[in-house]
Amino acid sequence: MILSLAWKSLRNRRFTAALTVLSIALAVLLLLAVERLRTESRASFAATVSGTDLIVGARSSPVHLLLSSVFRIGNATNNLRPETWHALAQLPAVAWSIPIALGDSHRGFRVVGTTGAYFEHFRFGDARRVGFSSGRPFADEHEAVLGADVAQRLHYRVGDSIVLAHGAGDVSFALHENRPLRIAGILERTGTPVDRAVYVTLEALGAIHAQANAQAEADPLAAALKAHAPGGGAAITAVFLGLKSRGAALAVQRTVNEYAAEPLTAILPGATLQEVWEITGVVERTLFAVSVMVVVVGLAGMLVALLTSLAERRREMAVLRSVGARPAHVFGMILGEAALLTGLGIALGVAGLYAGLLSSQGWLASHYGLFVAVAWPSAHELALLLLVAIAGALIGLVPAWRIYRHSLADGMTIRL
Amino acid sequence: MQYAPSLASGGGRWDGGTGAPRIIRRSEEPRPLPHSSPTDAGRAAATLRDVVFAWTADAPPVLRIATLDVAPGERVFLRGPSGSGKSTLLNLLGGVVLPQSGKVSVLGQDLTKLGGAARDRFRADHIGFVFQLFNLIPYLSVAENVALPCLFSQRRRARAEAADGTMQHAAIRLLEHLDMGDPTLLRRPVTELSVGQQQRVAAARALIGAPELVIADEATSSLDADRRVAFLALLFRECAAARAAVVFVSHDPAMAHLFDRTIQLSDVNDAAS
Repeated sequence: MILSLAWKSLRNRRFTAALTVLSIALAVLLLLAVERLRTESRASFAATVSGTDLIVGARSSPVHLLLSSVFRIGNATNNLRPETWHALAQLPAVAWSIPIALGDSHRGFRVVGTTGAYFEHFRFGDARRVGFSSGRPFADEHEAVLGADVAQRLHYRVGDSIVLAHGAGDVSFALHENRPLRIAGILERTGTPVDRAVYVTLEALGAIHAQANAQAEADPLAAALKAHAPGGGAAITAVFLGLKSRGAALAVQRTVNEYAAEPLTAILPGATLQEVWEITGVVERTLFAVSVMVVVVGLAGMLVALLTSLAERRREMAVLRSVGARPAHVFGMILGEAALLTGLGIALGVAGLYAGLLSSQGWLASHYGLFVAVAWPSAHELALLLLVAIAGALIGLVPAWRIYRHSLADGMTIRL
Repeated sequence: MQYAPSLASGGGRWDGGTGAPRIIRRSEEPRPLPHSSPTDAGRAAATLRDVVFAWTADAPPVLRIATLDVAPGERVFLRGPSGSGKSTLLNLLGGVVLPQSGKVSVLGQDLTKLGGAARDRFRADHIGFVFQLFNLIPYLSVAENVALPCLFSQRRRARAEAADGTMQHAAIRLLEHLDMGDPTLLRRPVTELSVGQQQRVAAARALIGAPELVIADEATSSLDADRRVAFLALLFRECAAARAAVVFVSHDPAMAHLFDRTIQLSDVNDAAS
């Protein structure tokens, strides 16, 4: 009965109430969206490489090696000699190895020189292998495989010809025009850096560079490049290693780090991914803090709306007192209203989140390579929502207490 | 419904006003009433004895009333200028505030002996109020406004239902008696009613479930002279039908002659002199 009275009172102020609910809903929506993007981008970040036990590169910092080999950000300081890769592949603990050679590009996308082992052994996400959406792996040094983004952005199809360029810039002046490559296959979308690269054989890279070196005498630019990248065969940037037993990872890492013929660094990708995430963690925490602020502003808006309605409602409460309402009823009505507004705001915010997720899922995946699953709220999100609800109820205590005091002092007669 | 249990437990403290007076009361039987000859002094509509009220403990008292009695069914005009403590007196009679000392009894129940919840419940059960303005809840319909006391008082609800079948019927009958029976009027938002109509709705609300005491605070000040008399006539007729006492508080003496008795507040309030 009292509840229906409170409900009718709220309905009477439905415009302000709706605005309050809306502001709380938007705040909750933002909080959840930031949370969701944060956890999903973290998950997607952690999913860029899996199943690889060690990544070996020339001696450098682990973070640098991870960024250059997995994310293809920046350049490796030094290359490995092909013999080193062969030696690593023959270690008894090693089950498989994928060499990668970076340095060339195609219209802004990195070119990765590798072997067929890449398509067989490389894993990402939940140990998923990289599949082909069309075509097949490259068969020889005249063929290339494209990541999903490359094919989509540049409108390439299987059978088209492409030309690589030296260096990783968007515009290059040193095109390997006399060695065009035929596109043999296009990879499925993975949502990882795999999508944004062109894959060729190590031999193709070696042949391209050998030819560039042969021209060096006539071409001053090529001569400069030769001085920059000596050696004929494709130098290897890093090697991904899969071990027969994961337990051996630390032992192999030590072996590699102590490798006598060449200074090497071996990293455990998971641990280094974590390290990189810590660096970006500041941004993440800032985002979270901002969305918490927005929730605080939303709840403060409710407080203001409730407090401004109090002057008008003092009369209402005095009348209710005269017909027998107790101060506790009056207190409960205001508190209940705050709780209801918060509850509706949360419900609307959650509904908005799911509507937004469903409608933007495809766009996020295609533009940012971010796969945001439309999943039930996590325990963490539920805890956040519960916190918002409690905060809303606590905020309701302020006007409730004020009107309670008023109604004790006003009694049934109020002169306003 | 978090307060429902506490309402119910509050009910245990008062048997609905029909039970025997408490034992304490026997030793201090009130003196005979000066201006009337009630047959049931213990059930006087309202009795104040040696009441002192101040807003704070160290403030000078607003009210100091040695004796004030209202007999059952009596119509009393309580006159006093603004600020003379009329509203405070009404809050005392309604049990919304308690005196520092003395005794406030309504229908033989000493309100100072009741806890807060029990006093609120007692007020809901036995007293109807009509105020000057802002009497009605704007978001409730006419009929809902009239039925409002029945939300807070089982006793008045039961009485209304016993008399008219349902709360709704009781509300409509009262409104009809107050010339407000037009069905289109019942569905109108109360904010669209004229002031005179609003006051009649407020009167119907005060009367539903037949409370024994009706208190009107400047209830006619916003009406013009003709309507005042008409309103009072309606109010008296309904109160007589319910055998309810009326305490009508006003600063305006013009209508004093319509009442059984006029009390000048300054005459009974020693704090004013």
